[in-house]
Amino acid sequence: MKALITFPERCTSCQICELYCSLKHFNVLSPARSRISVVRRFNTPVVCVQCHLCLNSCPHEFVSKDNKTGAVIISEECSGCGTCLNLCPYGAIKIDPTTKKALVCDLCGGDPECVSRCPEDALAYLDPDKAAYHKRVAFAKLSSRR
Amino acid sequence: MDQWFGYMGKILRADLSECKITKEPLRKDMAKSYIGCTGYAVRILWEELKPGIDPLGPENKVVFSTGPLTGTLCPGSGSYEICFKSPLTGIWAEARSGGVFGPKMKFSGFDFIVLEGKSEEPVYLWVCDGEAEIRDAKHLWGKTVSEVTDIILKEIDSPEASVACIGPAGEKLVKAAAVVNDYYRVAARCSPGAVLGSKNLEAVAVQGTKDILVAEPERFTEAVIRAEEVALKNPFREFWKALGTPGLLELNNAAGSLPTKHGYTTYFDSADKISGATLNSKYLVKREACFGCPFGCGRLTEVKHGPYSVPPHGGPEYETMCMLGSFCSHDNLEAIIKANYLCNNYGLDTISVGNVIAFTMECYERGLLTASDIGGKLEWGDSEGILALIEKIARREGIGDMLAEGVRSAAIKIGKGASELAMQIKGLEVPAKDPRGEARTMALQFALAPRGACHMHPNWPSAWDSSKFDDGLKPFGLPPPADKFAETGVGKGLAYKLMSLHGTICEIMGTCIFYVWGFEGSCLTPKNYAEIFSTLTGWHMDQFELMKAAERVWNLKRCFNVREGISREEDRLPKRFFEPVATGPAKGQAVKNLDGMLDEYYESSGWDTGTGVPTRKKLEELGLQDIADQLEKLKHPN
Repeated sequence: MKALITFPERCTSCQICELYCSLKHFNVLSPARSRISVVRRFNTPVVCVQCHLCLNSCPHEFVSKDNKTGAVIISEECSGCGTCLNLCPYGAIKIDPTTKKALVCDLCGGDPECVSRCPEDALAYLDPDKAAYHKRVAFAKLSSRR
Repeated sequence: MDQWFGYMGKILRADLSECKITKEPLRKDMAKSYIGCTGYAVRILWEELKPGIDPLGPENKVVFSTGPLTGTLCPGSGSYEICFKSPLTGIWAEARSGGVFGPKMKFSGFDFIVLEGKSEEPVYLWVCDGEAEIRDAKHLWGKTVSEVTDIILKEIDSPEASVACIGPAGEKLVKAAAVVNDYYRVAARCSPGAVLGSKNLEAVAVQGTKDILVAEPERFTEAVIRAEEVALKNPFREFWKALGTPGLLELNNAAGSLPTKHGYTTYFDSADKISGATLNSKYLVKREACFGCPFGCGRLTEVKHGPYSVPPHGGPEYETMCMLGSFCSHDNLEAIIKANYLCNNYGLDTISVGNVIAFTMECYERGLLTASDIGGKLEWGDSEGILALIEKIARREGIGDMLAEGVRSAAIKIGKGASELAMQIKGLEVPAKDPRGEARTMALQFALAPRGACHMHPNWPSAWDSSKFDDGLKPFGLPPPADKFAETGVGKGLAYKLMSLHGTICEIMGTCIFYVWGFEGSCLTPKNYAEIFSTLTGWHMDQFELMKAAERVWNLKRCFNVREGISREEDRLPKRFFEPVATGPAKGQAVKNLDGMLDEYYESSGWDTGTGVPTRKKLEELGLQDIADQLEKLKHPN
């Protein structure tokens, strides 16, 4: 099972990932409906890290996990109540402005479009061991404040 | 209701005199003829502006314009243009900027925002998801661009919105006043800031969550992936990534085409002190791309300590580094970064301001202006003098009041032959290019660009004779690249025509022109744009039809200027470009036969060689018969 890793230091805030995400899922171009979001002022992509804190949050049990990829799956019946948004520490879940349902990265079923389309290699979809290495580096940077 | 793909299908109109907002449908016939952005806007302004109006009067209109590809996956989709009649030049004006404002404007639901009339009190316009309101801005008047932006973002309670605003310079109707979006992205040239200032409009804020619909998603995805793969092979990509536009400083200096000391020469001995590489090694914080751009030439810089300290801020770009650097024989990079920061916060065009400061330095050297006229000495390269003049121009204090009217007007006021020194064309200050050292197509570009002296609108033509690129234009009959210093008899008129139309395609699509330079397979060609446009909108248009639409727009812009009194007489260059370059690799080079080159251009474009006016035959061929009729009526009112 792979993990989606971000490299914020490489991100230029071009938002191309957001456009491909909305195009792939909804056939439209709309950053507001992208499951990955770039925070422009910090040039940093934010996307679900599959921590699964949200899994048991939904009052209606509309949030589940894809056993193949580990991605969080929001059911079509979602009412957009926002409970899972409140629980997510990363702000990685949004409400789709058109469908009014919760929106979260589904890893494109195991072949994330944003990763293959990022022109700066700021996103990667890696095996657990490699992903863990990069997470350690990110955590170490944070801990040592460098 | 009509379904629109690629376009949002709506125009927002704000009548500031009546404090009234209206929404109009976009017209399909017009979109098909003029595509969008400056193309659609020139048709609006041709129809709605009477010739001869006062650009600073309520009858002028400002069109914030996006194109069908703005905000999409076409590489470089972060563009928008502000179109109006310029108070600096009195003719057609278009000022482009990147960042995120253009895409956000589209996601807010509008392709165009037309601003008309004049508000009694300062106001700003807030546009969000298909709705708009005019809000009080009395408390914003006099504040800097970053203060205005911060306050508006807080007031509208929409931190992801994008704000385009004027600063103190626009409020004071300075004719080098810019509109600044996203804190440091600037629609600078021709003084859009003064026109907004004259309307008492401080800012336009946009935010939206609307979709851009795609007519043929699968084929569109294939087309944009093809375009992105081409873009990643572009010969300039690594250069833009590594150095951004500031890298052009050392590149141009090595070639002897870096405008220096007000055009006395094109080689700057201290270029390494203000180069892109120096900027990178000492002051770069991070790269920052415009929306939808895989090049990402933009950069954030910071000066941490000392008298010129500046917080992390966008730029300076090449044009700024040259105009406020080598053009003023000025080699203090920290002072240039500070000057850029000041200009962005006052809302000033760094090109026009740098030009007019260098002009003032030369006038001082020649004794045409004294220290008491200027308010102090002004030697070449004087950092403090440059920063002081920026403040004076922004506030119209002392000599700044005269300089704020632009170099053409200031030179007339000074008299004593100063007009011969002024580096301007059609009233617009010459930017950081020099046709003597760079390439002679640049002479045509300067003489013919619709907004006056401009290196980019619609294209950088030296790609062909300086860099030897074909830009994928062979199917249109582009001649083989000629020697860069050759003038007539080698097809420069035709090459310039094709390159300017290629650039016009980008412009009317609403994308950045940085993608059009290179070779077939490494740059975006009219074929790429036709493919992306067709699959996005579902309107099938091939590269030749698209080129024709660009030609229609280019000719209509010329007709707009003809209606304002422009003819061949005004397609001139400043005297200095006919004088030999004093030093460096291009020493001795001068433009010799501009008239011969113009003849070749007019002939290849179907313009009358005597008057420089598009012929009726050409206008009819482009479907512009009504324009030809109206021009004729103007000439013979009875």
